[in-house]
Amino acid sequence: MALHLSMGEAHRRIAEYLARFSDAVSSQDGSALKSLIFVSSNSFYLLALADALNVFQDSSRLVNQTDKYSQLGEILIPYFRCLQSIRIGRFVDAYVAFEKAANAFLQEFRNWETGWAMEAMHTVALEIRVLAERADRELASSGKNPEKLQGAGSFLMKVFGALAGKGPKRVGALYVTCQLFKIYFKLGTVHLCRSVIRSIETARIFDFEEFPTRDKVTYMYYTGRLEVFNENFLAADQKLMYALMHCNPRSKDNIRMILKYLIPVKLSIGILPKMELLEKYNLPEYMDVVNALKRGDLRLLRGALRDYEDRFLRSGVYLVLEKLELQVYQRLVKKIYIIQKQKDPSKAHQVKLEVIVKALKWLEMDMDVDEVECIMAILIYKNLIKGYFAHKSKVVVLSKQDPFPRLNGKPVNS
Amino acid sequence: MHLLQLMWLRLLQHNSMLVTRLTQVLPLLMAIAIHNIKVTIMDISSQTMILPLSKWVQIKIQTTAGYENSNYNYQTNWWNNGNCGSYPPHLYPSYTSSDTNSTQSSSAVSTNSLPYQQQYNQWTYYYSQSAPVVSCAPRTENTSLTIGCSVEGGSGGYPYPSNQPPPPGTTSWRKDTGSSGLPSLQEKKDVTAYPSNGSGGVGAPTFQNHHINQMPLYFQKPTDSTPLPHENHEDQQKLLYSQSPRLPLSSTNHVPENSQSPFQAIPVSETRRVSKLQIPTNPRIASNLAVGMPKIDKESSTTNAALKPAYISVSVPKPNIKSSSQDDAEAIIKGTFPPSLRAYVERTFSRCKDDAQRSANQKMMKEVITKASADATLFTRNWDIEPLFPLPSTSLDMVEQNNLQSSVPISSLRRRNKSRWEPVAEENLVDKQPSITSDSVNVASWDHFEGTGRAAESKKYESKEGGCNGVRLFSSPQQTLLSKFAQRPVKKPRLGDFPNAIENGDGSSDSDKEQDLTKYYSSAIALANSPEEKRRREHRSRRFEKVQGNQVESKCHGPNIAGPGSIYTRRASAMILAKNLEDGCSRAVEDIDWDALTVKGTCQEIEKRYLRLTSAPDPATVRTEEVLEKALQMVQTSRKGYSYKCDQLKSIRQDLTVQRIRNVLTVKVYETHARLALEAGDLPEFNQCQSQLKRLYAEGIEGCHMEFSAYNLLCAILHSNSKRDLLSSMTRLSNEAKDDEAVKHALAVRSAVSSGNYVQFFRLYKAAPNLNTCLMDLFVEKMRFEAVKCMSKSYRPTVPVAYIARVLRFSRAVSSENCEDKGKDGLVECEEWLRAHGAILTIDNNGELQLDSKVSSSSLYIPEPEAAVAHGDASLAVDDFLTRAL
Repeated sequence: MALHLSMGEAHRRIAEYLARFSDAVSSQDGSALKSLIFVSSNSFYLLALADALNVFQDSSRLVNQTDKYSQLGEILIPYFRCLQSIRIGRFVDAYVAFEKAANAFLQEFRNWETGWAMEAMHTVALEIRVLAERADRELASSGKNPEKLQGAGSFLMKVFGALAGKGPKRVGALYVTCQLFKIYFKLGTVHLCRSVIRSIETARIFDFEEFPTRDKVTYMYYTGRLEVFNENFLAADQKLMYALMHCNPRSKDNIRMILKYLIPVKLSIGILPKMELLEKYNLPEYMDVVNALKRGDLRLLRGALRDYEDRFLRSGVYLVLEKLELQVYQRLVKKIYIIQKQKDPSKAHQVKLEVIVKALKWLEMDMDVDEVECIMAILIYKNLIKGYFAHKSKVVVLSKQDPFPRLNGKPVNS
Repeated sequence: MHLLQLMWLRLLQHNSMLVTRLTQVLPLLMAIAIHNIKVTIMDISSQTMILPLSKWVQIKIQTTAGYENSNYNYQTNWWNNGNCGSYPPHLYPSYTSSDTNSTQSSSAVSTNSLPYQQQYNQWTYYYSQSAPVVSCAPRTENTSLTIGCSVEGGSGGYPYPSNQPPPPGTTSWRKDTGSSGLPSLQEKKDVTAYPSNGSGGVGAPTFQNHHINQMPLYFQKPTDSTPLPHENHEDQQKLLYSQSPRLPLSSTNHVPENSQSPFQAIPVSETRRVSKLQIPTNPRIASNLAVGMPKIDKESSTTNAALKPAYISVSVPKPNIKSSSQDDAEAIIKGTFPPSLRAYVERTFSRCKDDAQRSANQKMMKEVITKASADATLFTRNWDIEPLFPLPSTSLDMVEQNNLQSSVPISSLRRRNKSRWEPVAEENLVDKQPSITSDSVNVASWDHFEGTGRAAESKKYESKEGGCNGVRLFSSPQQTLLSKFAQRPVKKPRLGDFPNAIENGDGSSDSDKEQDLTKYYSSAIALANSPEEKRRREHRSRRFEKVQGNQVESKCHGPNIAGPGSIYTRRASAMILAKNLEDGCSRAVEDIDWDALTVKGTCQEIEKRYLRLTSAPDPATVRTEEVLEKALQMVQTSRKGYSYKCDQLKSIRQDLTVQRIRNVLTVKVYETHARLALEAGDLPEFNQCQSQLKRLYAEGIEGCHMEFSAYNLLCAILHSNSKRDLLSSMTRLSNEAKDDEAVKHALAVRSAVSSGNYVQFFRLYKAAPNLNTCLMDLFVEKMRFEAVKCMSKSYRPTVPVAYIARVLRFSRAVSSENCEDKGKDGLVECEEWLRAHGAILTIDNNGELQLDSKVSSSSLYIPEPEAAVAHGDASLAVDDFLTRAL
């Protein structure tokens, strides 16, 4: 395709681009500028430009020729190089060039008093992350150390620094924060989130409600996930609920992502989702978990954990789900209690240990008396069962009043 | 008279600065400090009174409070004369009221037992106390505020509200300036500004303003710009280079340029006179103090460093402005560059002789760094050994004075970026210089100080610098420093960052800081004078000289030059060579042929004691790989104790490392060491080995990977506060690993721990493969306690102790020591354990020992370990404290 391009046409395209770029800057047209650097949009215009650049090699001369453009040369020349590299699929080179351009852009951006270029800055932040990811994939496939994403992280940190001021630019800070979160989560260095969160949440220049909803939702999603990691369920619930409530109802993928974390959180505070919800958002991995909780079926829970182990481990909810076991035991004892009550209400509150062992055997859970006794003790200890255990007679003696307290939105005592 | 006062005030400033700044900007401060004192001294150098002054200044600081007091008197006095003649004379008493305070603090200092922190507190106390009473005080405070504001608005015109009486009702500075510790600093600065104002009859604020005005020159957006980003920074620097040293530096020039200040510049001669006037006072005070203070010398190095920044503060209102929120952001960012890189940049700049070179250097530096960040070696590259690139040569010796002035602030400027979390590696060079100077009282010592870097220059300076150079010197660093300040992130008080503390141990916790300081004082002299220390210093300065390769006169003395230094330079030059071949600085560090630089051992001895390397390894003492293999066998078969084995293994590891041997042998060594460490309960050593092993396995070297994956998992559980570590370790496990016996066991342990299933846990404990038991030992106490707590809450009315002993495996530990009946023994041990943890035991009708669960549930606690806690301070065992409080 590039071959068909004449030199003149290439020159024309580049010149036009330069004119548009420079106009966008001088007229402070943020969205025009954004579209000019939105690499991953794969717009026809940029693709054509990239082709032109590959034909017309000496684009930097073109930039330096005109004063108007050469001021922006620090941005444009590496940016052109980046476009060229992307076009020929060399993402590491593209990333390196883009980072250079991005740094130059940031430099300019700092000097602009208002936040007119915020959209463009955000695009740069997005692009650098996306490019870094692609560059890292390329590096990894050639056996080298993928480190570009980390570099993108430090660049975004700089951007954050440029935005976190008193000026009108501060509303753009949350977007960058979210991009940083994405990087840190991807790199597995979530501890780095803490410093950003601290400045967002404590700095007086930021008023959380002032940020765009889109960014707030993303932010709450990520901080909610962090709380899941910390098994801080109440905070996680609150943050993820915020994200869910404010998320655009039409963006189902986003809702699904939020639910992926919100459901385990809700489960561990004793709130079960409807099956329709799981179906609607395509979350089959939770179906067995929910069923296990409903039925007191330990086998089902363990099976689900085993089947989806990788998925749960990667998303980081494995340990949370594993903790649901106790609730499953509680349910099981409750079922036994209900059956006993139907048979003989007067003796229902005494559940023999051997009965529980037998029930577990049916579930193909091979546990001996000691272990079950231990679990009963834990259930009582954690206040999932009200009552006591009589060691001598090996009987769980249930309280006559509300022997199986509901969690009611509170996590299990730990 | 005025001038004398001005001087006093300056010193006052020193003191206050010391007190306040210490707590805030310590790492920086050290950097700045040196330059500053140079400045001070230069100022007067033409009068050849350097030392008395410096001495005096040092001493001054030590006795801060006492002098402070007098300073204040002067100050108020002055204040009255100059601006606010209307203030009633009872200012005096009000200040004197603080005397008690200050004397207290002075005595505190002289007894050396109190850190500066305390002084600081006292001063704040003093301020808050005096403020409402004294009519003058609030005013000072207010003005300081307004000045700050004026700067903040700074990009446009520059009003100088400092000259107008502030609105009477302004809130105290404390509130306004927010959370940072800076306010007091600010205030003091302003205080000084005023007197100088009067002294010139016109100018004090001019001085200040002048600098404020300059701000925009160098920084496009003083208020908005957040300082970290490197490029930005460099640009500013560039500007500085191109302008500041060249400019006729006295403030006179700038004021007409850009100020709307009502004042004219301070006449040059004025300033000069100030410096002249200082001199007579110095010796007097010096002698005074020398008598009274036995620890002068000890402190002097510190104070030296600490006091100097005072000068900066005069000119720099900027840092105060920063809102705390900005600080946050900056704090996040400022760690962007590795300290070694900063040190590297300093090195490059330190060899610049003139502006041309500097800007050339600047350019190249920029290139190098962008290059490095582009190929992402910025953080990976070892900047400490990165060779410097060649510079265009310079012919201008006469510029050296400038160089002397400006290169120093430049390096400090660089240093600004250093976050306080970062190690202080390269800073030592700077730290130590003052400590040399300080303890010697004669001129020679100053030379000595200079001798570490620029003795020649300083002399030249003395002879060449004529009349108004004092002023030049005075103002130029201020400008530079100003810019630094403008960017310097505000730091929170942190005493431990004091140079001393750094020398004594970096990572000292807050509670250790006091100790560190005092410890330092007692050891500082010895340290500064010890031949070892001198050699280290020389070594370091030599590094600069060699790399510079130009005509800095080396004043090195002593016989110790030959050893490590020469090795260092040899290797450094090898690298420069390698670099030059590759056309400048373009190649990434990974491309360097490390093999050429690697030591090849020749030593044939099997046994070798471990000694941490302090210099480049000597091939004669490094064992060859075959010998190392034998050494490993020797250790494995040795019957000696762990400490011997650990020592031997460490030396083996060291020899492997310096020869960059990474193969099966390396893995074996680390595995052996890790196992031994586990058995001996030496977790730190185990962790070191473990992390090395992780890397070695990742490189694909064979070993007992599974066994150590299991250990890794168990460790992750042990540090249970980070669920993520655990998760990621679990995620990393391959399917093959999950089938491994040891890994399975570790996973089961994890599950038992997380659910609190003590029965399961102790079963696994009994059946642990490899050394999993050793790691599990670390949970046993906790698990048992949790289990008993759980039982006492859920069992009613009693639990047989025999059952507890069985379930919690009490028999096991004893059985190895005693050959008696296991069950019985376990019972006894269990009973003892239960009693030790506050359980209430009863005997039932059958004579069986029972745990009375209801009573016990509220009486259980974890007893304090009988052995002392590791950190030596039992009061820090918060966990225990909390458990008992429950």
